[in-house]
Amino acid sequence: MTIRTVVNGRPVTEPIPVRWTLAEFVRDRLGLTGTKLSCGMQVCGVCTVLVDGRPVSACSYLAVDVDGCEVTTIEGLADAGSLHPIQAAFVDHFALQCGFCTPGFIMMAKSLLDENPRPTRKDVVDYLDGNICRCTGYQPIIDAIVDASERMTP
Amino acid sequence: MSVLPPFELHRPTSIEEVVELISWDDLPYVGGTELLLAMRAGLLNPRSLIDLKGVAEITGVRAHNGAVRIGAAVTHQQAATTEVISEKLPELPPVLLHVGNPRVRWSGTLAGNLCFAEPKSDVIPFLIALDATVTLVSADGSREMSVREFIIGPYFTARTEHELLAWIDIPVVPGRRGTYLKYQVMERPTVGVAAVRLDEGDSTITRVVVGAAGEVPVVHDVDHAHPDRSAVATAVVDALEPIDDLTGSSDYKRHVTAVYVERALEKLERM
Amino acid sequence: MTRSAGRSVPRSDARAKVTGEAKYAVDASRPEMLHATIVRSDRAHALIKDIDTAEAAAIPGVSAVITSDDLDGLFPRFGHIVADHPILAIDRVRYYGEPVAMVLAASRHTAADAARLVRVSYEGLPEVMSIAAALEEGAPLLHEERYDHGDESFGEAMSDDWSPSNIAHEVCLEWGDVDAAFTDATEIVETTTHYPMLYAYAMEPYNALATFDEGALEVITTAQHPYQVREDLARIFDLPLAAVRVTSPFLGGGYGSKSYTKVEPLAAVGAWFSRRPVKLALDVEEAIYTTRADSATVTVKSAFGADGMLTARDFQLDLDSGAYADNGPLVLAKAVHRCFGPYRIPNLRVRGRSFYTNTTPASSYRGFGAPQGNLAGELNMDQAAERLGIDPGEIRRRNLLLPGEEVLPGARPLDADLPADLEMVLESLDSSRPRGPLHGIGFGASASDAGAFPVSTATIKVHADGSVTLLTGSTEMGQGSQTALAQIAATELGVPLGSVRVLQSDTAITPYERTTGASRTTTLTGLAIQRACADALEKMMAMVSESREVPVEDVKTSDGVISIPGGGDLTFAEAVQDWFGSRAGEVTGVGIVRKADSTAMLPPFWEIGMVGVEVSVDAETGYVTVDHLATVGDVGYAINPALVEGQDLGAATQGLGAALFEQLIYDGPQPLNPNVVDYRVPRSRDVPRTIDTMLAERRDGVGPYGAKGSGEGALNPIGGAVAAAVGRAIGRWPDRLPLTPEYVWRLMHMETEAE
Ligand SMILES: Cc1cc2nc3c(=O)[nH]c(=O)nc-3n(C[C@@H](O)[C@@H](O)[C@H](O)COP(=O)(O)OP(=O)(O)OC[C@H]3O[C@@H](n4cnc5c(N)ncnc54)[C@H](O)[C@@H]3O)c2cc1C
Ligand code: FES
Ligand code: FES
Repeated sequence: MTIRTVVNGRPVTEPIPVRWTLAEFVRDRLGLTGTKLSCGMQVCGVCTVLVDGRPVSACSYLAVDVDGCEVTTIEGLADAGSLHPIQAAFVDHFALQCGFCTPGFIMMAKSLLDENPRPTRKDVVDYLDGNICRCTGYQPIIDAIVDASERMTP
Repeated sequence: MSVLPPFELHRPTSIEEVVELISWDDLPYVGGTELLLAMRAGLLNPRSLIDLKGVAEITGVRAHNGAVRIGAAVTHQQAATTEVISEKLPELPPVLLHVGNPRVRWSGTLAGNLCFAEPKSDVIPFLIALDATVTLVSADGSREMSVREFIIGPYFTARTEHELLAWIDIPVVPGRRGTYLKYQVMERPTVGVAAVRLDEGDSTITRVVVGAAGEVPVVHDVDHAHPDRSAVATAVVDALEPIDDLTGSSDYKRHVTAVYVERALEKLERM
Repeated sequence: MTRSAGRSVPRSDARAKVTGEAKYAVDASRPEMLHATIVRSDRAHALIKDIDTAEAAAIPGVSAVITSDDLDGLFPRFGHIVADHPILAIDRVRYYGEPVAMVLAASRHTAADAARLVRVSYEGLPEVMSIAAALEEGAPLLHEERYDHGDESFGEAMSDDWSPSNIAHEVCLEWGDVDAAFTDATEIVETTTHYPMLYAYAMEPYNALATFDEGALEVITTAQHPYQVREDLARIFDLPLAAVRVTSPFLGGGYGSKSYTKVEPLAAVGAWFSRRPVKLALDVEEAIYTTRADSATVTVKSAFGADGMLTARDFQLDLDSGAYADNGPLVLAKAVHRCFGPYRIPNLRVRGRSFYTNTTPASSYRGFGAPQGNLAGELNMDQAAERLGIDPGEIRRRNLLLPGEEVLPGARPLDADLPADLEMVLESLDSSRPRGPLHGIGFGASASDAGAFPVSTATIKVHADGSVTLLTGSTEMGQGSQTALAQIAATELGVPLGSVRVLQSDTAITPYERTTGASRTTTLTGLAIQRACADALEKMMAMVSESREVPVEDVKTSDGVISIPGGGDLTFAEAVQDWFGSRAGEVTGVGIVRKADSTAMLPPFWEIGMVGVEVSVDAETGYVTVDHLATVGDVGYAINPALVEGQDLGAATQGLGAALFEQLIYDGPQPLNPNVVDYRVPRSRDVPRTIDTMLAERRDGVGPYGAKGSGEGALNPIGGAVAAAVGRAIGRWPDRLPLTPEYVWRLMHMETEAE
């Protein structure tokens, strides 16, 4: 089946097998390997991408379902080489170690701040319930997102 | 990374087309939040999937005949943030906003939740408590039944092979108060308690529906606005048939069910 | 110029990791590569009667279906200590999930479809699913054969009186007269605890991409220790080390679970068989079937004098190590060394055994045997304090080893100030403040013989423009070695941090590093880098002396400048270019660390764990909330304080996971929860309300500027601390982890006489 979609602002028309997940499509076909895979069950969030601005688990989402939609992956966040404020805050707060979970957390943070520009700490914690980080102990990630929200809406 | 087995895809745009296709081998889906995981685990191996997202008749939420009608393609997130619902069913959004995580809420539907009939669903006990009904449509016509009748057992509903769950109707009852509390340590709750109070003529009914702890929801009605909390808890626990699993032993589930029934009733009293 | 070391400079890999540009092994691909899917055993213990591959092989796109019969001419096993682990099961499977066959196909989907069609018929054998079952009279034996020992230090099983047994290994340690001390004791306190079976859950599951080209093997993999993997691969294919290239890019977590060989032989065998690049990427369930951490039952008996001083301790440790040795023998040895605590113990006996069972092979995981024993040892101290009527802080104060005291006979004396660390934790917890009902505090200490065997080499290249490349075989798996090691190099050379680039973990290019584990990198690799920098500086000074014709003893260097008498200052670029006589050339400095000089004595350093928690318990459900977490990073000197705090919080959080939720559960022959839905790891909502990560920098380590390692320390005593805190909150001592709400609730409601 052929799908038409816009990925990180770039129109893409690709024939793909219907059983492909969105993660397989962006990683294997488009080479956008910033989107990671781990649990494969919607609980860890490393595969988070935005489809028409909404967060989805690319591990468990059919690629054909982005036909006609806009997809944003982690690679689409930095603007002409300058980091998005969320990315910058992650760097500043040491909100990553191995970094495998990082793209997913940043995409979730983007979705949260689009929906709710000034979340409380508790809002952030609740929103991240479906994202696992095994390295950092979460606190620096939560700090980074709260700080990013302040940077973005001073 | 494990992969999905092969299948075909249909993208119907009307209910008529859907009911032509639907069978135990040709499964409808919207979010696929349950379906795709079950397929990857080898539990389901359908010939085709029928995407319901293009069926306009079932994509929205609207007021209908003293009820709110939620189409089968409506996601948890969409329902929780729709104006009709926040206005007429303010008790529903808090429940939906505690389903899974944001990604599951953006993709998963209430209808899919009911059709999958996962015994640890949050949606099922709450919709039972609200006296919700479902409308099942097939090529031969349609029928309506309560969610309580629809859910027969774990992963087992009254839906027959060629039926589509088209929409859910939740009656709007002025003065009704409802709350849902869950006790959750693992990914799914140990117990979920829906508590609802509504006026029926001269009397006031308090209803408690308990999910997750047992295989099927336990429903308990009391003819009182402020029933004795511990008596209700005891009655509910007596009716409960919990099994041991990773969320707790049957003993522990009985115990926390009683605790959460009391906590839910206490919360309801303050509403 | 500000000195790089000692500052919390941003991670050098952060930008790549926040933009998605960072490449992990799983992101690697090769043109024409095949995808492998593993057919796994659905039995825990059985003989393989037949493997029918015909139907699978007939699927279009399938290149091969490989079983152990196809490995003719290869050494079919691996294992760095005991070579007992078949690449693909040979005649028999010993645990649920063991690889039996491998399908190679043009796409991952085709390989998976075909794998479902491989039919394996088995003849069941009786299973050994627990230590108790392993010990039973006439219990079925997992291994009847003697295997090669890769590591001679574990060669005791090679002795002549060897006979097959389910006791995989035994390690004992004894000094003094334990029995006499118990006879004379004022108080004897006995504690038995159970530590759960864990899964490290590094978020990137094991994967490897192997290529065979002109008789040489190349593997890009998720290995913490590429050099160790290289040895296993060289033995399998009978290749010289030079013909095996193992590369570890960024690792998506490791925590010990990616130590030593895992999936590399499978991918390599696929590439050898098919003559095409082969990619094998496991999912989480398969990763759980690849390695887990040992569960343990530990009994400790301690003898005390009336003054609360320990006079003797006697430990029995039993570890469930699963179907194959992997790193189990070393984990056992470390568990034995690490269980009795950083206390002064005149008489000690530790008897450790690890058992073969029909479960996933156990191997290293952060802490390496320490958390298992520490839980028993520290809870025992708390119970003793209660029994003797001494404050739990005080009993530790009296017994903790002082700096310079001996922990293990003949080993490096203690290079840390434990009593001072303890006071920091007690103060953070405000330990003397009375607590309300269902609130409790707990704290604990550990000292681990860390650093592993010291073999590290490093290379520094100063290029013609003065920029610097640091080559190291140490793997970046999140700990921040890329950043911290560059900080050391920049400090030593006196150049800005930005001019140092780091290249890591490619056995063909980077210099040898024994392992990336045991918290050793900053200390040992750091020392090697210091030496490499000194070597490079010395060479440049000699070059300047030659090209400027000044005596070498008159050439000096500081702050990235080489100066000669008469005020002539040369940059590194000028020094290099002058000597080579053109805008070319480079200077290479080499640094070596081995068991000699400051690292002659083992362990290279003692890794300290000192933590405390305050918890509250829900009266009705038993749910435990961690209100306060305090950790002391006793690291000698923090090259990058933010990185150290990150390690401590990360390690403590994993420890809290084990303390409160995590456990792999076997339901008969099969794990009940081999996925992240049912194996519950800490989530954002579990973050303690107050977190106090403190640093103790006393420059008492052998590493650069007095540094010692970190990374495991904060995990080791967490379990005991949480158990003690919960015990104080509810008035009953737990005897196992995890402290699930149900377990705590049961403890609270246990009949008193049942105690
Ligand atoms: C990580 C995770 C966490 C979750 N947490 C929760 C939670 O906290 N609480 C909770 O209640 N649920 C939870 N869920 C379940 C969640 O998947 C459902 O709530 C979801 O809404 C199902 O909707 P769906 O559209 O994705 O269904 P699908 O997966 O698309 O479908 C489910 C099944 O129903 C059938 N079906 C779907 N729609 C129809 C229809 N209209 N007519 C007939 N048959 C139909 C499908 O064929 C399929 O068999 C969780 C799921 C995940 C993955
Ligand atoms: S891999 Fe998609 S949520 Fe974990
Ligand atoms: S940084 Fe490693 S999992 Fe989050």
